[in-house]
Amino acid sequence: MSDDLTRRDLLGTVVRGTVLAALGGGAGFLVKKANGQIVWQVDASRCINSRLGETGMAACNLCTTECVVALSAVRAVNEHSRCGRCNICPAYFNITSAVNELGQPSEKLCPRDAITRKPIGKADPEDPSNNFYEYVIDEGKCDGCGKCVMQCKEPLGLGSITLRVRYDKCVNCNRCSISKACPQKAIMQLPVAQGVA
Amino acid sequence: MIDSCGAGVHACSGSPGPPCRALASFLFTLLLCLASVRVAPAQAIPYQRPVETAPQPDTIGGGYKTPPVQKPLPRDYWLQVMDVALLAAAMGVSVWLVLARRSRRWLVALAIGSLAYFGFYREGCICPIGSIQNVAGALVNPTYSIPIVVTATFVLPLVVALFFGRAFCGGVCALGAMQELVVLKPVQVPRRLDRALGLLKYVYLGIAILYAVKPTLARDFLICRFDPFVGFFRRTGTPQMLLLGGAFLIVGMFVGRPYCRWLCPYGALLNWCTRLARRGVTITPNKELDCGLCTDACPYGAIKQMRAVRRNCLYCARCYAACPRDGKLVQLTGVRP
Repeated sequence: MSDDLTRRDLLGTVVRGTVLAALGGGAGFLVKKANGQIVWQVDASRCINSRLGETGMAACNLCTTECVVALSAVRAVNEHSRCGRCNICPAYFNITSAVNELGQPSEKLCPRDAITRKPIGKADPEDPSNNFYEYVIDEGKCDGCGKCVMQCKEPLGLGSITLRVRYDKCVNCNRCSISKACPQKAIMQLPVAQGVA
Repeated sequence: MIDSCGAGVHACSGSPGPPCRALASFLFTLLLCLASVRVAPAQAIPYQRPVETAPQPDTIGGGYKTPPVQKPLPRDYWLQVMDVALLAAAMGVSVWLVLARRSRRWLVALAIGSLAYFGFYREGCICPIGSIQNVAGALVNPTYSIPIVVTATFVLPLVVALFFGRAFCGGVCALGAMQELVVLKPVQVPRRLDRALGLLKYVYLGIAILYAVKPTLARDFLICRFDPFVGFFRRTGTPQMLLLGGAFLIVGMFVGRPYCRWLCPYGALLNWCTRLARRGVTITPNKELDCGLCTDACPYGAIKQMRAVRRNCLYCARCYAACPRDGKLVQLTGVRP
């Protein structure tokens, strides 16, 4: 009886060892292949909101509607070094709205009022156009609808605003639902270091 | 609009009198007209880009510095490693609580902790269940690779299962903990039905792997798509997803852990690893007290003829809690019963 038990135990140990070795081998293979941390990214040269040559159309807001995170992990980001800092910014104002008494469009573009601006240096109230403005996007409000991105690109603006995946908000789904919906295939999974933005 | 009106009134306050009132009413009418056509392009500025290049700090002057662009990085690597370490630690605690302490109460505490951390805080990721797909994809597809932490997440619970059984299912898995906590009045599912339904998980595993090993664009992650509780963990999700989760929770009140027993593809792997386990939940009834309370207490059909069926045992420790001899009748032995 005890002999039988031993044999059974031995068999169990052998099988267990084999499975362990197989698991270890598979894991080793995968670790060797591992390529750092992979994140979902927006390719601005593919995204229809920031891609050159696509103008005069409504902005694509699939990043807002498809993301599984409550407030989309895709946010508009203003690259300050490329920003024109204009008085009448087509991404800040709705430039098709009526002009008010200050000579500015009377409506703002952002539906969530996420873009704020402040004059750089001292602003002359008599001549507001003779000044630079710093445009800041409040990421807590932005939901990545892309309206400002569409307006900011050439030829209206300088294309300083693009949509980017905020890795701290993104939950890194195996298959990003925005990438499934994106007709431009602009959302792709790449190592962090190999950023497209 | 209101601003302009205010400005009009302000302008005439300096010279009161009837002409001013007339002017004010005229202005008001004008403004009303403006309001009705304000979206017409004629009222908008003919927009032209004022600058061709971005002004840099030296052009702007006044010591202006370009503000840095916020670039949040992914979760720190050490935090990800810590997640895996926590997973391992939680499994260790689960083994200790069930096999050594035989404490159902503490196991429930562990389950709540795991649900809070792995479920609601980490929002259902890291998840060994979903990692099956990544592992399968990375093993087959030469261009697809997965981070080391994902590999570790996949392998660790299986290794534990090879030695101690399904400790992961007990107090660690967030999906399991969610169902464990809602078990209210479980019915004993007829054994044949239980076994038949249990085959579903192999079918699910097979289909999930088939979809996961497809080339990049055709690849689909069924396990994640039909994850019943991730919608709750993220506090958002499609209505179908939340309905599915709600249905599992309601059924789970009366049928113990339906997802774990019949659908969980990772459960299928754990099931087979557990068959090789040397130790696990062990029930050795004393001949005098053949009460079978443990069998009645097990909502998962994992006690058969008063012996634990380890491959189906979900490490909930209910059998120990139900035992009138509280740990004397049920013994931890290294020997198979």
